Amino acid sequence: MNAHDLLWGMTPAHLPAEAPAWALAVIGAGQPVVVRRALAEPGYVAVGVRGRLREQRFGAVMPLAAVQRRVVPEALCEVISPRDLPALRALAQLRPVLAKAVWGITGSAGFELATGIEALHAQSDLDLLLRTPERLDRGDAKDLLALLDTAPCAVDLQLQTPYGAVALREWAGPSQRVLLKSASGAHLVSDPWQAVV
Amino acid sequence: METLSFEFPAGQPPKGRALVGCVGSGDLEVLLEPGTAGTLSIQVQTSVNGAEQRWQHLFQRLFQEQTPPALNIQIHDFGATPGVVRLRLEQGFEELGHD
Repeated sequence: MNAHDLLWGMTPAHLPAEAPAWALAVIGAGQPVVVRRALAEPGYVAVGVRGRLREQRFGAVMPLAAVQRRVVPEALCEVISPRDLPALRALAQLRPVLAKAVWGITGSAGFELATGIEALHAQSDLDLLLRTPERLDRGDAKDLLALLDTAPCAVDLQLQTPYGAVALREWAGPSQRVLLKSASGAHLVSDPWQAVV
Repeated sequence: METLSFEFPAGQPPKGRALVGCVGSGDLEVLLEPGTAGTLSIQVQTSVNGAEQRWQHLFQRLFQEQTPPALNIQIHDFGATPGVVRLRLEQGFEELGHD
């Protein structure tokens, strides 16, 4: 189970009493939840429920035993949508660029491709994930970012290192320390491919 | 999209300016520039509506520990968690100190 995986099988009974009505509605409708980068008790996974609006995000935990289906971001790379939106055009343009890499689609584009539920709109950016078990040179990061920035919408690519995720945009920039998001929280680090002490 | 404004008591303005953070989901970009002595003013532009109280509390906690320098801070937020906001602000203050 990794951050950004989509999980089906959660029911309204798994939500805490303080869960908002919209969260009960989307879970009740059988929509998947998104694995969050957070720690959970053994036997549980931290997930986020996403509603239709940007501010409709609700953090919860799901029992692993309830998971019926799991879709990882990499499984969505070749899914073609019939809709015509900047984020989907960007995706079509970037597929060949990323063809040799292990990459996946997250955020609203990933959710829409996995479920068929319209989550993207004309202003949506494209959220991508790139698995980088080995260190990506900062110069190479800059080159890749330049390619992504030719896309018809903003592309937010997160580099997934063994220790968490770092934004390609920040790793390609001049900052000496960058933000590494891990299950134990966010940290400012100079090398995202090194364990946080 | 929502723009929020906050003001806090502050000390003297610093000499330099700093830009930290990153445009992207779950993150924020913070621009820190010298302000008017005695005042720290913060503008937050956020993609997450209805979070004014959360920002107010976060800033209050951050600035009650130590009087901040007089700054104009502009924040572009893309749904960062309070932990990330705190880290980025601390990073910004640190970079000001280096100049």
